[in-house]
Amino acid sequence: MKALVKLEIARTLRNRKFMFFTVVYPSVLFLLIAGSTDADERVPGTGLSMPLYYMVAMASFGALTAGLMGNGERIAKEREGGWTRQLRLTPLPGRGYVAAKIAVGAVATLPSIVIVFVVAAAVKGVRLDAAWEWAALTGAIWAGSLVFAALGVAIGYLATGDAVRPLTMIIYFGLSILGGLWMPTTSYPQWLRNIGDYLPTHAYTALGQAIELGGAPHAKDIALLIGYLALFAGGAAWLYRKDTRKA
Amino acid sequence: MTATTAVSAPGTGAATTGAPPVVRFEKVNKSYGNVRAVADLDLTLYPGETVALLGPNGAGKSSSLDLLLGLRHPDSGRVEVFGTTPRQAIVRGRVGAMLQSGALMEDVTVRELVGLACELHPKGHPVDEVLERAGIAEIASRKVNKLSGGQEQRVRFAFATAGASDLIVLDEPTTGMDVSSRQTFWGAMREQTKQGRTILFATHYLEEADAIADRVIVLHGGRVLADGSSAAIKAMAGARRINFELDGPIDGTALRALPALTGIEISGRTVRIRSTDADATVHAVYRLGLYPRGLEVTGLGLEQAFLAITDAATDVSTGPATDMAGDTAPTVEESAR
Repeated sequence: MKALVKLEIARTLRNRKFMFFTVVYPSVLFLLIAGSTDADERVPGTGLSMPLYYMVAMASFGALTAGLMGNGERIAKEREGGWTRQLRLTPLPGRGYVAAKIAVGAVATLPSIVIVFVVAAAVKGVRLDAAWEWAALTGAIWAGSLVFAALGVAIGYLATGDAVRPLTMIIYFGLSILGGLWMPTTSYPQWLRNIGDYLPTHAYTALGQAIELGGAPHAKDIALLIGYLALFAGGAAWLYRKDTRKA
Repeated sequence: MTATTAVSAPGTGAATTGAPPVVRFEKVNKSYGNVRAVADLDLTLYPGETVALLGPNGAGKSSSLDLLLGLRHPDSGRVEVFGTTPRQAIVRGRVGAMLQSGALMEDVTVRELVGLACELHPKGHPVDEVLERAGIAEIASRKVNKLSGGQEQRVRFAFATAGASDLIVLDEPTTGMDVSSRQTFWGAMREQTKQGRTILFATHYLEEADAIADRVIVLHGGRVLADGSSAAIKAMAGARRINFELDGPIDGTALRALPALTGIEISGRTVRIRSTDADATVHAVYRLGLYPRGLEVTGLGLEQAFLAITDAATDVSTGPATDMAGDTAPTVEESAR
């Protein structure tokens, strides 16, 4: 199992195209969206400045993208190619496969988060009250992204071929918009906010926001994320084991 | 109208060893939609056997192997490997398998990929040893997605033999290999059998089955058509169709008593015979004092030969279509005497 994790990470790092886009994409998005905002502008309902809000949102969004898109499509492709069938003829347990794929997501996301922070600090002059907040934010966004890497694995096993991209897109945009990654949910109607409150993306952004405001993340959000992680990872492992698709 | 001598050779190792079976299929069925891929399949493999699963495309070879490896589950019946489920047997490192096709992991070297298999196996061999035995030591640093078809097959073989498994399953392992790599491949294979492993491989080449296996199981329509030593199967596959016409009254009883006969059909003046030894049969026809006209001896090809011989079995499964098989299939004109 450790062998697979190591090999999966090694080959992901070798995939320069994938790494480049995963790492650079969130920073570009940040500049596009937050570039025109003013540092004095506040997000309604919170005390956060717009650039700070978008820094965390885009770092989270980028991490989500890397986990969800990267894993989903690559896994669907591997299934179709027949590689996972061959892998299933080894004693590797389902959780080993899922763990390796989540690790791949984690490796790709960390640099993307750090780069968004660097860009935000350098270009938009984003500052936090204390140095620990940077570390805590990085840690929280990184750890939270594992949930979406796990979701990506599950999607890779739910859909195949032509279906995987639209399915990923729907989940991706749905989760991002409803969870408040793109814009604060404070502008949504109440019923939509009620739904959004229980999405992993909402809990995910809430983690970051709590730290931005100088506090600790809420236990509810952490519990929600752990619950989703268990659900997605367990589901993915189960789907891996029972997949009978022929190459 | 058809006199049939059923030929069913016994499994070679089956009766002689008292050891518990390696693989056991009990009344296994598997359908895809309304295609019946595996039909009431009963099959038992014993330790140390080298078994060829022989049959044309669509005979149910790959489906049977998928069931054996737990990649698919039977609709009904039981599949047992080393007395447990296929998955359990694999987890315990008792089974190594190589699939016919399917991509390998991308962006990794041959060595890394085979190394992965070695590490995943509970009784894994050292990587170098496995690479050496599969004959891919010199391409170990090459990327897996930049190999020729034959090289890829050998990497798959290495993947399947990365640990000390007791059963090795290979689905058409020599697909895409040229003659010399085939030889190297089967050489490596013999090494495995010498170590007392049980080997099961699927092929659609009788020659391959004959050269490697000590037991050959012929599949057709998801059923076992014949099961015996490779010599017995080869003899069966030597079946010929003999056609001729006779003038004058036909003595059916005498004709039915011809040697090596497995089937006879008399309609009007035309006599159609299936024989396992065309020379003996034809010779006997002349000895009866008959003068066959338009004598034609045709090889039936593997599948048709088995169908002809096991008429009784196939009448049940595939009905009237089988009778046509020998006539419509591409046959080799052996001689016209």
